[in-house]
Amino acid sequence: MADFYIGTSDFSDLVERIIKDSKVAAPIEASGKLHLLEIFPDNIPEIRLSGFRTVESFKSYFFKLTERVSKYFNKDEIPQPEKLTIIGARSCDLEGLEILDRIFTEDDFKDPFYIANREKVTIISSDCTDCGNTCFCSLVKGNPYPLKFFDLNLSPIKTGFIVEIGTEKGKKLVDENRDLFLKPTQDALDQKKRNREKIMDLLMEKNKKFQFKLDFSEIHKMNLENKVWRTLTKDCVECSACNFICPTCSCFLLLDQEKNNKSERYKVWDACLKAGYARVAGGANPRAKLYQRLQNRYHCKFDYSFDRLDRYTCVGCGRCIDGCAGKIDMRDIFMELEKQVPLTAKLK
Amino acid sequence: MMENPYRPIKAKIEKIITETPTIKTFVLRPEEPLSFLAGQFMQVTVPGMGECPFTPSSDPKMTESIEFSVMKAGTVTAKLHQMKEREWVGLRGPYGKPYPLKDFHGKELYIVGGGVGLAPLRSLLFALFHEIDNLKKIEVRFGARTPSDISYKEAIKKWKKHKNTNIVLTVDAGETGWKGNVGLVTTILKDGDVDIGNTVAIVCGPPIMMKFVTKRLLDMGFGDKDIYLSMEKNMSCGIGKCFHCNLGKYFVCKDGPVFTWEQIKDIPDPW
Repeated sequence: MADFYIGTSDFSDLVERIIKDSKVAAPIEASGKLHLLEIFPDNIPEIRLSGFRTVESFKSYFFKLTERVSKYFNKDEIPQPEKLTIIGARSCDLEGLEILDRIFTEDDFKDPFYIANREKVTIISSDCTDCGNTCFCSLVKGNPYPLKFFDLNLSPIKTGFIVEIGTEKGKKLVDENRDLFLKPTQDALDQKKRNREKIMDLLMEKNKKFQFKLDFSEIHKMNLENKVWRTLTKDCVECSACNFICPTCSCFLLLDQEKNNKSERYKVWDACLKAGYARVAGGANPRAKLYQRLQNRYHCKFDYSFDRLDRYTCVGCGRCIDGCAGKIDMRDIFMELEKQVPLTAKLK
Repeated sequence: MMENPYRPIKAKIEKIITETPTIKTFVLRPEEPLSFLAGQFMQVTVPGMGECPFTPSSDPKMTESIEFSVMKAGTVTAKLHQMKEREWVGLRGPYGKPYPLKDFHGKELYIVGGGVGLAPLRSLLFALFHEIDNLKKIEVRFGARTPSDISYKEAIKKWKKHKNTNIVLTVDAGETGWKGNVGLVTTILKDGDVDIGNTVAIVCGPPIMMKFVTKRLLDMGFGDKDIYLSMEKNMSCGIGKCFHCNLGKYFVCKDGPVFTWEQIKDIPDPW
């Protein structure tokens, strides 16, 4: 489908129209960083689509921090959430969403709560125009600009945005507001292309010290039993920030409680780094040591993920690096693991 | 409307049987029809407290009620042990993959259980007794801590009378009046018990017991594909979403709970 163009002030008008019918969340700058915040008519001018991903991922809009999933033994109604439009999601966010979609909506059992939240959401993503020191999507087969999984995508250029339609939902949004969209000039399309090349170059430049000969899944498979994990993960303090901030970590716990003589069940975020995560009744714990739990997290995203979803379940957003109290950088771990490969191969 | 996979079905506690000082069998009558196949498990809800995964211990062909033999091991099971007949619990499931019973036809079965591990094996034995004519023989080896810790004492006497079925018991420590074997369950796994080339071994018990039984079976000459292990892991959702029960690349709830040694032998310390 052909791309469209929307000017900066027309884009503000578009958001104003969307707000009349839907809750809106978009990046807003606070203390020098972008945060995903709710948009009201008066803060529309503060929306920032330049830069890179927001501090927090948007997973909590679909996979809630805590959500009641049963008031037993009643027949439960699946709640119908209000419409939501997320503006300014980045390519890494969309990859993360694809992973959550597959976990919660594919397979024999589906999660009706996730599906209800997800169906109400329209996603208007945007290209990165800068990258952070911890961004590494290019190392996990990603791009700093969305190519799929969006309803509409915006590529910022000097006077506005080039708009790409990804789904029927996105097309409908353009059709309904056709007066705001124009046919893009060749110069505008060229700008988009140049910007994309520029941001890719910048990302490669920022990650140039991280060069790998092997695929991350191979690196992990070959180090499954390597004792090096004990030292690699020595700075982890089990805070679980990486779990919570990660756009693809989707571990949860079903938690029951009694309220006014009624029993309720909640689905609550959980974290695989916590000591009690895999402990069974009676006290036995298959991952009693912290290094085993952190190692399991890496294998989950770079090794087991291929058996489950045939892809990495890390999107290279770098949020876990930013959030880590122990300053652990995934990329350094990969480097060290790759260094170990000849050694472990020899030992075998 | 889409099914809510997290909602438990109401089930009445019809009867409670005290099996041992730490194990009780709960006979449950669910309000909505539920059935399972040997090897599958269910989530039992203690209202307001939480859920625990158990494999039923009753005959899979019996559909009106389902039995669970539960050892008091944590907070939820302790609360369950305090519950009375005619009170309500919840059930979700069945989940996981059943034993491939058809693949066992024409073979000898070497069934090794430890402690409360006899509970899931009991439902398997019921299923096997229904098709005993298709099996060469069933050899059961079962270990408990002490004679008082042996569950289903009366049932075991009856099972021994089934044709082509032989049951040997052992205890870690004897008590006055015990004339049977004393020693870990591995000490009653003898060469010559079964025709190893045509036998499937099925093991269920505490992780440490399964580890040593697997080692013994491999030493006896069993092939990796012929050892079936019932894996115990922390589970929450039971439907492969919550990630709690991951065992390497597998989810025990969805890909198991029964695995062959062949499937899991490359996972470091799978126990």
